[in-house]
Amino acid sequence: MFKFLRRFLKEEPDEQALLREKFVHFRRLLDNNNLALATMADMEEKASGDFLFDTGYLDSQVQTLSSAVGEMIEALHHLTKDRYRQLDLVYNDVLQKLLATLKTGAIVPATPPILWLDQLSKELSASCGAKMANLGEIRNRLQLPTPQGFVITASAYQNFLTKSGLAAQIESILEEADLKDLRSVETISQQIRAMIREASLPTDLVAVLHEAAATFQDRPIAVRSSAVGEDTLFSFAGQFATLLNVPPSAIVDHYKEIVASKFTPQAIFYWKFQGFSLHELPMAVGCLTMVPARASGVMFSLNPQAPEQQSLIITAVWGLGTFAVDGSVSPDIFELKKAAGFPVLSKRLGQKKKALRPQPGGGLQEEDLSPAEASQPCLHEEQLQTLAEIACRLEEHFQGPQDIEWALAASGEIIILQSRPLRLSAPAFRGRRPEKPHVSVPPLLSQGVRAVGGVAAGPVFMLRRDEEIPHIPAGAVVVLRQPSSRLVQVMDRLAAILTEVGSPTDHMTILAREFQVPTLVDVKGVRQTLHTGQEVTVDADLAVIYPGICTELLSKPVGPAEPWRQDPVFVRLRSVLAHISPLHLLDPASPDFAPGACRTFHDLTRFCHEKAMDAMFQLDVEASAQAKGVSRFRSDLPINLFVLDLGGGLREPGKPLITEDDVTCPPFRALMQGFCHPDVRWAGQVAVDFKGFISVFANTLYDQNKADTTLGGKSFAIITDRYVNLNSRLGYHFGLVDAYVDEERNDNYITFQFKGGAASLERRERRAQLLALLLEDMGFKAQANSDLVRGRLVKYSREETIEILIQVGTLLAFSRQLDLALASDDVMHKIMAAFKAGDYGLRSLQEA
Amino acid sequence: MRARILAVDDEPNMLRLLKTILTSKTEHEVVTTNNPMEAAKLLKEEPFDLLITDLKMPILDGMDLIETVKQIDPNLPIIMITAYGTIETAEEAIQKGAYDYITKPFRQEAILITLKRALEWRQMQLELKSLKK
Repeated sequence: MFKFLRRFLKEEPDEQALLREKFVHFRRLLDNNNLALATMADMEEKASGDFLFDTGYLDSQVQTLSSAVGEMIEALHHLTKDRYRQLDLVYNDVLQKLLATLKTGAIVPATPPILWLDQLSKELSASCGAKMANLGEIRNRLQLPTPQGFVITASAYQNFLTKSGLAAQIESILEEADLKDLRSVETISQQIRAMIREASLPTDLVAVLHEAAATFQDRPIAVRSSAVGEDTLFSFAGQFATLLNVPPSAIVDHYKEIVASKFTPQAIFYWKFQGFSLHELPMAVGCLTMVPARASGVMFSLNPQAPEQQSLIITAVWGLGTFAVDGSVSPDIFELKKAAGFPVLSKRLGQKKKALRPQPGGGLQEEDLSPAEASQPCLHEEQLQTLAEIACRLEEHFQGPQDIEWALAASGEIIILQSRPLRLSAPAFRGRRPEKPHVSVPPLLSQGVRAVGGVAAGPVFMLRRDEEIPHIPAGAVVVLRQPSSRLVQVMDRLAAILTEVGSPTDHMTILAREFQVPTLVDVKGVRQTLHTGQEVTVDADLAVIYPGICTELLSKPVGPAEPWRQDPVFVRLRSVLAHISPLHLLDPASPDFAPGACRTFHDLTRFCHEKAMDAMFQLDVEASAQAKGVSRFRSDLPINLFVLDLGGGLREPGKPLITEDDVTCPPFRALMQGFCHPDVRWAGQVAVDFKGFISVFANTLYDQNKADTTLGGKSFAIITDRYVNLNSRLGYHFGLVDAYVDEERNDNYITFQFKGGAASLERRERRAQLLALLLEDMGFKAQANSDLVRGRLVKYSREETIEILIQVGTLLAFSRQLDLALASDDVMHKIMAAFKAGDYGLRSLQEA
Repeated sequence: MRARILAVDDEPNMLRLLKTILTSKTEHEVVTTNNPMEAAKLLKEEPFDLLITDLKMPILDGMDLIETVKQIDPNLPIIMITAYGTIETAEEAIQKGAYDYITKPFRQEAILITLKRALEWRQMQLELKSLKK
């Protein structure tokens, strides 16, 4: 019985408590939005190449980011009563992709177990490793002589490890291993290598290998590691085994030997403690005809000691190249100028006392050479020329200096064994810009916050509206009032971006960083100082803008491309960022601005932030307005305004009657300050007389009983210490302002809406247009649709937002006068000019 | 001066990156190991001018490494790499005799400058030693 009664006696939901709760979620969403944007900006900054970081950094940033975005979505669910539940699916999808990118190494493409060298090109490096893929490229695309043969693919390697059960066994050994000293690591390494040698290959692989090896017709072969990522990944890579002059009949054992060489003590240590998969660095193995070289060596297509000399280096020894690489013989060294005819700049003949030669029955033999042979040059002029030509062709083809292994066959033919990017060393601090570069002209502006560093020059393009974006010419320095993420459409062809307001962590700057477009934000006065077509140079590092093209700033430092960009953490950061930074949700008004269209964390934050602002804007405050604890705002104006403080908005909450002095909420104070502007006429309505002049008619109702009568229904404001949501009803007009003002620029926004009126639709529409134009002039993105106007302004500083709110307050009060006045477009333009000039009483338009 | 630098970090990626940057921006020779237990062995076998080591590593962490290194070469400058949030430990490492520490992620310039200063310090120590003889 009591239970039954209790159900009926259950308290009504406390509307104010619900509102407070909503505000808490809104605040949570804003905080996490900032955290997410700052984290994204930080990651983009790291991708610029100026920083060193490790995978620990990547893990923790992804953790921070995914939790921030998750929190935003949760908060949005509360704010919108689960309207966007689909976001959960999208979020999980993005997160899974992100984690997969973060954790796994390269995905091994499914290929046949072997691929012939004739089939290879550099695109197949994920299947064959760069070493063999490049060799295929050299053979097939450059038509240069190479050994013949095939590669046992990374896919075959994975099958071997999985099907033989080795992967599971090795993992359990690593798990149980107690590595306490060097010896224990070495022991485990030996143990695993032995297991691999003893393991059986899948029978189908054995069959394929034997069949392929038969094509060598018992001629000895070279078996070389070609691990995927060997050149770019892991410091301990590149030390894997090579077997020279071995019989093709034992191909299975050779293959296992090379695979076993992957399990070095360093690799063991890594897998044990870094939590990475054994499947990383998948081992492809090249099986090639042995070149019984008369001489061999290494050449660098650019002298690494003095790259500016534009010379190349060729080293050579007798026999196989092993002695040239390991330093056991002092080789001949030739330096050739990279110019027509390749003149020899210098020649140093080494004493090549021994040579390594393949033996007819297999195996290698060290052969002592006579003093005459030892000092004889390995290469004559013509051969040097041929090698130099090849080096230049390879450098051109692979678009960078190369480190090339070559062999001179008995026939005199030069055969390429390998070509890989040459790592150039450079003196310390080369390429670093001087602290204060000398520029002969005085700067136009020394202002702004560096969002993306760099120097660029080009003609200015003043972007006034997003619609003009397609007209931005390539190479332009775009100047706009505040960051617009829609610029991403043309970002690949911009020289630089300058914005008058904005922060280095907003959507646009994150994208600019991705595209490496030098960007300055918060450049005060930039729109007044620069004009379209004017050529300028932007030094985004030092936040200076110069007139004209300053070649002294633009000259690029000489030196190699930054090699660390190819390093694994950078590569991984970039692949992680692919799921984070790109922004696809550009236009909130577009039907594509929807949960299903979100593909990255950036999209999700953008969507949540936008919809949260909408949700606050659409707060249902009716019920709260009826509730207790609401204060009536007393002023001289004929408005019926009630205020509900959700926390910190009033000096003393709960007072039934308050005045302006009781209000501590800065955005509300600003609004009311503008609203109560002394010039705004309250005593009447504005209309146009038959001569087309503006006149103000007395409002008898207002004059008769000022104290109690209002110009309409009840107006209502929800406030906190930094937030206001004002529903104003004046006459037949409905105005709504929702604003948030804080120190954090990314949080700040004003949403404005105005609708209604008693005049004809034509005049109401004209007023909507007028308001939209005035709002745009203040910096809003505004849209008029019939008699409804909506505008939103985001990410201005606290002071700027307050200043604009004062104007918005004035506009709100001012616009109620316009009910009947807008008889023509001409009048509209006159009124607009008057407002802009600060003539809120429209004195300039009245008949004298 | 072309110096020999030993870099120790259990994460090969960081090590690789460090080596790439140091060798492309300086003339120094850089030897790396991802196994801290190997560091002492390398230091005993070959002469080095500088040690860069991660602070937090399995089995033998950077703090332990300082003690081992001080026994092998008391004048060897040690730069500790620490993760954000472990500044106290890094300061403790300085107390124990590390030359300096650097918090990751860090700018390339930061490690280059620290390294330059550490090597100058090393040079000064060696000169001082020879003067005292």
